[in-house]
Amino acid sequence: MSDQPGQTTPLQLRDRDDIVLRIEHLSVNFRVGKQTVQAVSDLSLDVARGETLGLVGESGCGKSTVGRAIMQLPPPTAGKVLFKGQDLCLLSGEALRQTRTALQMIFQDPISSLNPRRKVRDIVAEGLQIWGRPSQQSRVREVMEAVGLDPDAVADRRPHQFSGGQCQRICIARSLALDPEVLICDEPVSALDVSVQAQILNLLEDMKQRYQLTMVFVAHNLAVVRNVSDRVAVMYLGKLCEIGGTGSVYARPAHPYTRALLASIPDMNPLSRHQQDGLPLLHGDLPSPANPPSGCRFRTRCPNAQALCAEKEPLMQAVRQTEQNEPQSKTTGVVSDHFVACHFPL
Amino acid sequence: MPVNKHPTIESRAQNFARALQQVFGRGFGPGFWLAVFWLVIVAFCAMFADWLPLRDPLDPVIANRLDGPLSGSLLGADGLGRDILSRLVHGARVSVVIGLTAVSIGMIVGGALGIIAGYFRGHFERALMAVLDVILAFPWLVLLLALVAFIGQSLFAISTAIGFLWIPAYARVARANTLSVVQREYVLAARAMGATTTRILVREVLPNVILPLLAYGLVAMGLVIIVESALAFLGLSVEAPQPTWGGMISEGKRHLATAVHVALIPSITIFLTVLSLNFVGDRLRSRFDVKESNL
Amino acid sequence: MTPREFKEQPLLLDVRNLTIRLNSAAGLVHAVEDVSFVLREGQTLGIVGESGSGKSVMARSLMNLLSRRSVAQRQGSVVLSGREISALSEREMQKLRGAQVAMIFQDPMTALNPVLTICVQVSEPLQQHLGLSKQAARQRTIELLDAVGIPDAANRVDQYPHQLSGGMRQRVVIAIALACDPALLIADEPTTALDVTVQKQILDLLSRQQTQRRMGMLLITHDLGVVASRADIIAVMYAGRLVELAPATTLFGAMRHPYTEALFNSIPRISDPGHTRLQAIPGRPPQLHHPSPGCAFAPRCQYAQQRCHRETPPVVMAESSIVSAKPTEHLHACFFPVAKSASGGVN
Repeated sequence: MSDQPGQTTPLQLRDRDDIVLRIEHLSVNFRVGKQTVQAVSDLSLDVARGETLGLVGESGCGKSTVGRAIMQLPPPTAGKVLFKGQDLCLLSGEALRQTRTALQMIFQDPISSLNPRRKVRDIVAEGLQIWGRPSQQSRVREVMEAVGLDPDAVADRRPHQFSGGQCQRICIARSLALDPEVLICDEPVSALDVSVQAQILNLLEDMKQRYQLTMVFVAHNLAVVRNVSDRVAVMYLGKLCEIGGTGSVYARPAHPYTRALLASIPDMNPLSRHQQDGLPLLHGDLPSPANPPSGCRFRTRCPNAQALCAEKEPLMQAVRQTEQNEPQSKTTGVVSDHFVACHFPL
Repeated sequence: MPVNKHPTIESRAQNFARALQQVFGRGFGPGFWLAVFWLVIVAFCAMFADWLPLRDPLDPVIANRLDGPLSGSLLGADGLGRDILSRLVHGARVSVVIGLTAVSIGMIVGGALGIIAGYFRGHFERALMAVLDVILAFPWLVLLLALVAFIGQSLFAISTAIGFLWIPAYARVARANTLSVVQREYVLAARAMGATTTRILVREVLPNVILPLLAYGLVAMGLVIIVESALAFLGLSVEAPQPTWGGMISEGKRHLATAVHVALIPSITIFLTVLSLNFVGDRLRSRFDVKESNL
Repeated sequence: MTPREFKEQPLLLDVRNLTIRLNSAAGLVHAVEDVSFVLREGQTLGIVGESGSGKSVMARSLMNLLSRRSVAQRQGSVVLSGREISALSEREMQKLRGAQVAMIFQDPMTALNPVLTICVQVSEPLQQHLGLSKQAARQRTIELLDAVGIPDAANRVDQYPHQLSGGMRQRVVIAIALACDPALLIADEPTTALDVTVQKQILDLLSRQQTQRRMGMLLITHDLGVVASRADIIAVMYAGRLVELAPATTLFGAMRHPYTEALFNSIPRISDPGHTRLQAIPGRPPQLHHPSPGCAFAPRCQYAQQRCHRETPPVVMAESSIVSAKPTEHLHACFFPVAKSASGGVN
């Protein structure tokens, strides 16, 4: 049983040298009135250098909370956040301020993440000013040009003079100014117009190459996550349901929730209207996170739920790769990289 | 539209025009400017009263006792034969000084407490709010009388006492604004970049809280002037013979039956000043609000 | 239903040359420019556009919901079930709203009154338009809630909006809209504020209700994927103008307007491998304060030529396309329409 987290190393964590970020048994509790809500519960995952981890789930599943807990904003209730082997949760004050500059964040609402009373130049230079970095002017110019903003035309304006897409570029420039290693993107395109989303996604991809970034990409849009991530983690009500290589998870979802998510993506095919009822849909709504279901948290909406699901919380297990689906894994002997927390994986 | 060969120059000009528009306003209307005009006059009188070619406000000329307006002097004379215009102009100084000082004290102390409470929350916030509620629950006039009795009747003492009364209101306004600013992601972004708490308070929170506070200050100043008049009417403001608007009304009430202008003129002055302050403060505040909501 | 079957259906909504200009702090906004379309009974018209494309302003104007002060200019005609409604008085319009036309808004949080129970809110139009008694209205409310898939409707009916989840709230909003059996349902971004799993439930619910009640529906969205499989006809709007209109199958088979094509291509697809470079549309949607002459999309269009910057392209019928669509069914506003079939088409 997982009643005592911290005892064992979770299965899904990889034993590799290039792991930049490693989260072990992360839990975040919030107090809402007199209740304690567990927004994130015993979550473990890791991100390797240069990798993009997509974190998906419905609103209220705790995916944004994970992103913020990595930044210690606010610090998690329990668990470890290891950045290059160093536990950020054990750092405090000055040491945390120092170390945290290597991790930066981009938020969903680009307009609310820019101070309306400051000029773009000062916003982008903020981090450099805080740390008294040398040659701030040229660095500001450089990152502004990198994100596709003309420094001469833009630097002296204030955020309200820009569109959402441009504001998001300013946010990206600001986060890059300090030369971070990890970029945490919290729904970076969901507030943008459809025609602008692609620009920002391409830009993030370019910046990842140019500045060798490792990314955690939190989003609810599965197609967007499919496009940007190497690995994807699916969350439901604060729990990790499934994690694995993007191709593997999207092609062969092992968790019923992942399958339901994939099935609910609107189909771009106008001819598909007559065959909509093919896949089982999720019924009902998200249960209250203050009072999650016993056992598997997804069981109340799961089409395959059985008695066991209510009694026992499923542990992470490797997804068995069927031979016809993955012939090369047998020959190369690669250990499965795809894990699921379900008693009856698909 | 002509082809634009100088986009940056044009956009700069546009920005400048927009900035001008924001400061001087399109759609403020003539009422706003009349109010500003009146306030400028009052401020001018307060500053330069000593140098203006006026009669001595303290010099009683018995022959002029209770002279009506336009008889000899512009606004006539009071019960002791002192020139009303001169006394109004010198009285403006008291009103303006008390208004500015009291509002500043309220704004600085209350604003700081409110921002700190709104940013750090927790026990400090709860304790502060409880204390403020207690202060607000007191009848303000009784509290003010007690304060004045305790610290005296000098200009500074009066200002401080009235300023103290404004601390709760300011703390509330500042706290409410801070709470909404702190939720914005730019505060989180600043923390992620390693900004210290002081830096966040000064750079991120303060600029967004100060404008609503300043706009509120104008409205508050109007109320302060009324409070000062009330004190003066009770004979508890700055001590005679220093002229104050409230004191002039108080003195004029004795002659209401015979020379109504002695009380009426300072009353109208107070009325116009407070109305102007409210009007300007209100317009400016709605202007800031609109700008915020446009973002 | 195939487009041919719709041909026999009577006209429900006929919008002709609708132009709306709004007052704003920054000047006149050309929100809707010369938009025309028809909707037949039982048909779904999907209107796709980004923010600022004028789709919501247009929807609101169909119900005369724009405040009189904000509308600077309004031209064109809107005929609903044979009746011109743009000239109706507020009182006459109130009789139509709810009974003839109903609207569903984006945010179920703000569309419901937080201090009134569900019962009060759903039964209000029933009492007002249908003249039902309080008891009958309550009974009908429970039936409606049941129909929109709210479990345990008899008990839920006395709850307040905050006791329901977002999806449930949107179901209540739908129940209110359906209360008086409107002939036309306008759904303005009905699922944008909802999660994907709930989004599908709500869209399915809308489709089902529409078929059962033979309503006409305007489904307004920014997401091509939402309308692709649910609309009979799709209209694409850009900068206040209708740039393309065609039956869904025709449109996805052969997009003629470069904006439609670019929009379609810029969306990340689940079927594409990871890290596929997206075909982003450069630039940003134009401001509607000072529309420049020529096609509004020209500055962002990869096919734009001299003429596109000078003249505004009129809405014309597509020449008979590769697909067997009749020429009358496919309209576009482009001088140099895209000829090729959209890349890949479906996913």
